[in-house]
Amino acid sequence: MRHYSILEYGNFRWLKLGLVLCAAVALAYLLHHPAVAPYGGTWLGYTLGTLGAVLILWLLWYGVRKRRYRSNAGSLQGWLSAHVYLGTALVLVATLHAGFQVGWNVHTLAYVLTLAVVASGFFGVYVYLRVPTLMTENLGEETLESLLLGVGDVDREMRDKAISLPDDLFALVDRSISGTRLGPSALRLLAGADPACPTAAAVRDWPRLARRLTGDAAKLDKEVFGLLLRKHELLTRARRTLRHKALLDLWLYVHVPLAVALLAALIAHVVSVFIYW
Amino acid sequence: MKVLIEQHGAPGPGGRAPVLRRTVQAEWIRVGRHASSELHLPDPRVPLAKGMIVDRDGPVYIEGEAGSHDITRKTVHAVRLKPGVPLEIGPYRIEAKPPPEGYDAALEVRLVHPLPAAGGLASQASRLTLAAHRLPKRGAAWALAIAILLLGFAVPAGRVLHAPWHAAADSAVGDRLWDPGPLILAHQPLATKCGACHQVAFRHVKDAACLECHRTVGAHVPARLEQAALFGESRCASCHRDHKGAHATFRDDDRFCIACHRDLHREKRDTALEDVSDFAHAHPAFSIALPQGEGVRLVRQGEGATLAYASNLHFPHAKHLDPQGVKSPDKGRVKLDCASCHHPDASKRGFEPISMARDCQSCHRLRFEPAVSEREAPHGNPGEAVAMIEDFYANLALRGTPDSFQKAFGVRGEGLLRRVGEPEEAQRTGALRMAQAKAQKVAHDLFEVRVCKTCHRLTREAGSALAWKVAPVRTSHHWMPAARFDHRAHASTPCADCHDVARSRDAGEVAMPTIDTCRKCHGGARAAAGKVPSNCMLCHAFHDARHPWTPNDVERTALAH
Repeated sequence: MRHYSILEYGNFRWLKLGLVLCAAVALAYLLHHPAVAPYGGTWLGYTLGTLGAVLILWLLWYGVRKRRYRSNAGSLQGWLSAHVYLGTALVLVATLHAGFQVGWNVHTLAYVLTLAVVASGFFGVYVYLRVPTLMTENLGEETLESLLLGVGDVDREMRDKAISLPDDLFALVDRSISGTRLGPSALRLLAGADPACPTAAAVRDWPRLARRLTGDAAKLDKEVFGLLLRKHELLTRARRTLRHKALLDLWLYVHVPLAVALLAALIAHVVSVFIYW
Repeated sequence: MKVLIEQHGAPGPGGRAPVLRRTVQAEWIRVGRHASSELHLPDPRVPLAKGMIVDRDGPVYIEGEAGSHDITRKTVHAVRLKPGVPLEIGPYRIEAKPPPEGYDAALEVRLVHPLPAAGGLASQASRLTLAAHRLPKRGAAWALAIAILLLGFAVPAGRVLHAPWHAAADSAVGDRLWDPGPLILAHQPLATKCGACHQVAFRHVKDAACLECHRTVGAHVPARLEQAALFGESRCASCHRDHKGAHATFRDDDRFCIACHRDLHREKRDTALEDVSDFAHAHPAFSIALPQGEGVRLVRQGEGATLAYASNLHFPHAKHLDPQGVKSPDKGRVKLDCASCHHPDASKRGFEPISMARDCQSCHRLRFEPAVSEREAPHGNPGEAVAMIEDFYANLALRGTPDSFQKAFGVRGEGLLRRVGEPEEAQRTGALRMAQAKAQKVAHDLFEVRVCKTCHRLTREAGSALAWKVAPVRTSHHWMPAARFDHRAHASTPCADCHDVARSRDAGEVAMPTIDTCRKCHGGARAAAGKVPSNCMLCHAFHDARHPWTPNDVERTALAH
């Protein structure tokens, strides 16, 4: 069965609705000849402002709707599709409401926050469409847990084999076993790499140190180095997986706080405008 | 050396530690992690080749130089192994024991610090999601929202809502964060005084707030006229919106004007005004305000005869603008042009009134006895002129020299006071009569024949031979009071392009341009190529202190009373 993304939901129902909304708003703006200049205080400005505020509240409501697992008010897929397309249309509604007028004030703050929330949402859509594919490519049949178990197996085998290797080589193995960490910080998670990873350091330094070995030690060394390489590869995939998971989370850390900030700015904007009517 | 090595392993699940006994017979016993060591200590904490045990009248443990592979080269550390004196090597403890029969030595080896169970990477892989790092999603949301509501609402609202913190807030940022855009330049002193215009919260700006400063601004229609009702719903802010840039509060286009004037009958059925929607093709002919009595009457151009009025002045433009020049008293023929008499006023937009002394008198001299004197009669007051003439001849009769006496009176003689001896009564009355007769003749000649009549309409006052009345001259005049015109802006255009006076013989002919003349250069609001785009407000003002269709109504019509 072909997979349908949320963008295609309902045969692009919400894309069409969003386009119709944008066209109607743009047409009204072009035909409108306000008294002085287009801005939020003309009749069209008030209309677009009301429309924009309703859209913002409805878009915020998605955060509530997606937690209501028993709700029957449309499928969550449909809600998300509408969230994406109507959120995009909001950019035009808000821009024409403002009549392209900006300044250092709470009104423009609300506008800029609107743009920022939508932009972070775009990033989220990109991440949700792109990252699952990357994860599948990276993990194949494995899971993060199976990768970690594999690393554990390699560690045990490597420790046993390396015990008869010279101290400097053994120290590399020992540091790789005891010093390798996954995701010690949020930045490392997002980077998907650890520049101070002892395993990577061991892989890098090994050939130089092992050059002098001969005989049985050389044979043992090849086996241990093979294990190190395998561990390194497993770690790389594990870190990449962690990065993908972090990316899937990351944009929400921007999208959600900015959306709440937008609600605050919207309240300040609307109330202040009517105080100084 | 024959040694019994008793190696105690780590305790198993049953708590019993396995014991491995080996007999080693060798020259020396190598100690280390290496599998070939005779005393093999398989622990990552033990170096590959740590040291060796040699027989020097009993077992002695020696270690080579640190880092040296060859432990025999130089001893840096040597310990004699005796019972009761344990030796620690890494996690191992080695203690000599009394050797059994046939052995040189016995060693007990115990792992006293076993390696902690290695949990593998899984135990080192902690906090693998962003959520596990406790990144502040909710915290950030709350912090941002509260900061915005505080700075963007609570602080600015302090003043208008009279909150307790408004004094502190005003001194910091005030309600600047609510300012939607720059005010026009004239309003910028009010930029931090929002309350000057926004007087009541949640209410529109009232006209009264504007009129506090703009006291003299005129209404489009004075409030006492019934047409004022047509503007009932309008506020100042209906047309004027501030915070829209530094230069204008209104949009300089025709929409507001045309909204009513395109079809004024719809607004007011009995209006006498004609409809206007565009200067280029839907604007009536100009109305000219002709002087009439104390006021004016409006006459539309192109309706009937040429526009003329009683200027009470005989002034043929054609004669004065003769390309050959006009005859002057002492400079021959002088060529005049418009600027010879029409001088721009201080604003350069219009002209100063014509002045007899400055513009006319160099040719039109008011000498009344040129043979005797260059004196000129005063202009503007006939009585004064007559009195001066009478005085002149009376003085001549009294003190005239024989020459001037003869030239003035046409008989030989001299002034009465110049003669020898006291004049007789008959001589006195004769001189006075002669002087009066001459003055009367000269004044009559000056007024009615030679000088005044050239330009003015005169009437002789009844009952007096020497009293004339000069009809008041009306030359300086606003022909189109409802239009503003800037001559300076049109300075590059020759006067005659608009004012055709080259053949005018009567000062009462109105030489104002028609709308077609203006349309040669001025197009409508959306002018054709090559024409000046001209909307209503290029020539007309909305707030006129006098309403244009009844220019005689001079009552102030300011909005503020």
